[in-house]
Amino acid sequence: MVSATFNKIEMKPKEYKSEIKPVWCPGCGHHGVLASVYRAMSELGIQPSDFINISGIGCSSRLPYFVKSYKMHTLHGRAGAVATGTQLARPDLPVVVSGGDGDGFSIGGGHMPHMARKNVNMTYVLMDNGIYGLTKGQSSPTSRREMKAYITPYGGVEEPLNPILYMLTYGATYVGQAFAGNPKMCAALIKGAIEHKGFAYVNIFSQCPTFNKLDTAKFYRGLVEEVPEDHDTSDMENAMRLARRPDGKAPVGLLYQEDRQTLDEAMAGLVELVGGSADYDLKKIIDKNRP
Amino acid sequence: MTEKNDLIIRIAGEGGEGIVSTGDFIAAACARAGLEIYTFKTFPAEIKGGYCLYQVRTSAERVYNQGDTFDVFVAYNGEAYELNKHLLTPGTTFVYDGPGGDFEPEIPEGVTAYAIPMSKTAKALGSYRSKNMVALGALSVLFNINETTLIEVLTNKFKPKGEDILEFNLKAFAEGKKLANEHKKTDDFRVADATGTKDVILIAGNEAVGMGAILGRLEFFSAYPLTPATEVAKYVSAQLPKTGGTLIQAEDEIASMAQVLGASYAGKRSMTATSGPGLALMSELIGMSTMAELPALIVDVQRGGPSTGLPTKHEQSDLFLAVHGGHGDSPRIVLSVEDVNDCVNMTVAALNLTEQYQCPVIMLSDGSLAFSTQTIPTPDPDSFEIVERTRWDGEGEYMRYKMTENLISPMADPGTPGGEHVAASLEHTESGAPNFAPEPHEANARKRFNKIKPVIDQWPAAEMDGVEGEADVGIITWGSTIGVAREAVARLVAEGKKVKAMYPKLIYPMPVDQYEAFAATCKQILVPEVNYQGQLSHFIRAETSIKPVPYTICGGLPFTPAQIVNKVKEIS
Repeated sequence: MVSATFNKIEMKPKEYKSEIKPVWCPGCGHHGVLASVYRAMSELGIQPSDFINISGIGCSSRLPYFVKSYKMHTLHGRAGAVATGTQLARPDLPVVVSGGDGDGFSIGGGHMPHMARKNVNMTYVLMDNGIYGLTKGQSSPTSRREMKAYITPYGGVEEPLNPILYMLTYGATYVGQAFAGNPKMCAALIKGAIEHKGFAYVNIFSQCPTFNKLDTAKFYRGLVEEVPEDHDTSDMENAMRLARRPDGKAPVGLLYQEDRQTLDEAMAGLVELVGGSADYDLKKIIDKNRP
Repeated sequence: MTEKNDLIIRIAGEGGEGIVSTGDFIAAACARAGLEIYTFKTFPAEIKGGYCLYQVRTSAERVYNQGDTFDVFVAYNGEAYELNKHLLTPGTTFVYDGPGGDFEPEIPEGVTAYAIPMSKTAKALGSYRSKNMVALGALSVLFNINETTLIEVLTNKFKPKGEDILEFNLKAFAEGKKLANEHKKTDDFRVADATGTKDVILIAGNEAVGMGAILGRLEFFSAYPLTPATEVAKYVSAQLPKTGGTLIQAEDEIASMAQVLGASYAGKRSMTATSGPGLALMSELIGMSTMAELPALIVDVQRGGPSTGLPTKHEQSDLFLAVHGGHGDSPRIVLSVEDVNDCVNMTVAALNLTEQYQCPVIMLSDGSLAFSTQTIPTPDPDSFEIVERTRWDGEGEYMRYKMTENLISPMADPGTPGGEHVAASLEHTESGAPNFAPEPHEANARKRFNKIKPVIDQWPAAEMDGVEGEADVGIITWGSTIGVAREAVARLVAEGKKVKAMYPKLIYPMPVDQYEAFAATCKQILVPEVNYQGQLSHFIRAETSIKPVPYTICGGLPFTPAQIVNKVKEIS
């Protein structure tokens, strides 16, 4: 989405708050992400009626309720697929998905590659807390193996996946990562993602103080390290190298950005190719079946 | 014996030998000559090769089904002969590849046989691929297939591929004619004479659904390949860009349904088409269509199940899934089509209904209809009314799920200032805010069920057939079995039997009063359908006071008129 395509308005971040108050626990990283969303919207001057925020199911998927906008609270894992339809139907409006690690990479994992490779022109903000919070603390695809959880009482038996490495591989054209404790960076990345033309993925470490006692805010603060200033964001190989640093540190900032034809552009190209329009003579279509 | 010109020609052989194109050419030539067409095909589930069958029924009068059996059987190979020889009964005609084919048939007593060396002649012409043209030439002579229209059809097909290709095919066609002329015609089967051009199109069920979608002003289609439904997407993919719409191939059926809901939320007329396995996968999102009151059309071209089942075979066994598939109380409108004409018109109607009632609409087609090409009156694009969803007028405070008098809550398209709202998967208040208290859930459940009830009066009353007044047997059936029942009822009535029939196409919500009124005039009710359980019978027992006699088959094939005639005689 390119910011110039929608009508700008002057609104303060707090004016984007909806009438519904956040239901998250005190200390939850998602509060920081929400503040960053408000800030990004304000900085971009987005009209609430021009903004479409779509989520699946989970703690993070409640986010759209707290934002003044058009929104869909859909099914577990399906936000990205639903948003793909919405984006193709209204390519003129910014579409942002809010979701979590279980929603995006477990049940919804089958949709992730396709949004990225098709370069659906939308933003996916994934709040990664390494746990299923809404169902009271089961291990997720990003949980550390040593974590004892609700139905892994003896500790985990699986390795976690690396979200940004996946998204780079799948073909996302904008990949960034941040920590919810740094709302400024989060807002900058989300703003950049909305402005980006193509599929933008932002992974945000967002601590769950209630159920994930391993990945605390303190832990994340020690885990992250800013992407080096001299990193060239068009350099995929270096982005991948940063995404899997041997010392286990997690890069934060913008890792990768690419300009590639979006799915809606390709679709518009098909309409142009066949000379399509809403007032196309339907009789011409019917006549193809004359014997 | 008088000439029979309600003629059924069955062509069978190995997939890839041009069986389908031979049948298509005959069908098109007859349709061009003003005759009515109903074709029936079975395809192998194999990737290449395998047994393939194409049956053309043609008549000057309208034909409603594939018929009981063939009049003329054309065998391209030994396998086709072996599989069909039990049907070579006295009075039938047999055309086969010989001498020089891969088999030596025994001609049963009373069967007229014409040996046409199709393979040998094709090879002598330099291309085995011309076998179907040799066969076609022979058939045109033997059975009076209109040569003028046949040549026109062949020219339209092959000329764009090059003059030399056209010339070669016409040469093979002429060779076939020559071979047939060496035989003396001894049977009475001939295609009816040309009746003059009619204003018709010739189209298969799946394509017709696609045409209906275009005529219904579809804007968004999300597809995932699934036999036997994929041709719907194939048609739409070629045509929808012309009207400015979008078709996308999704990563699975779940994503297809999700994308349909996403586009519908954005204000677009949206649909998908699938078969039973896909419908099963879509169930959860269809529930969301109900809950969030998002219009969505799902076409289910049924096939044999459960599981992967019989992917290319005919069955009517998704009625339970269509009506009740999904968790929670999730009402939807379910329609079923009878024939190719319905595939066009009811797809338009289904798109209108889903927009009008803001609920999922599932339209059931089936495996035999999917590939059946039929002549239908040429649709007039201007004759279709297009019903749009009720949109918010911008007055006052917007409440997405407002309890209105007719229970239809106006929708607001994204981009409309003041209309910001949530499409709610959770139970909610009128504004859309999550709410799990008893009252909103009960009120909304009532709303979701009651808002679609008016469709019962809005939808045309189920068609009645057969005798007026009291009947010994009343037939109730659905889907493409209706076309079979029509012929069975006509035969029984002609024999003086007191038989009538009712053909519901609105399956759910069920027009209970219509069923009761019909049953009140019948001594017993017979429900033929192609599934093991008797799924429509089950709904009739559940929702009405009627105790029907189920008549079920599930052999992967549609009913024949004779089967229904015999069953009626058996129970009356």
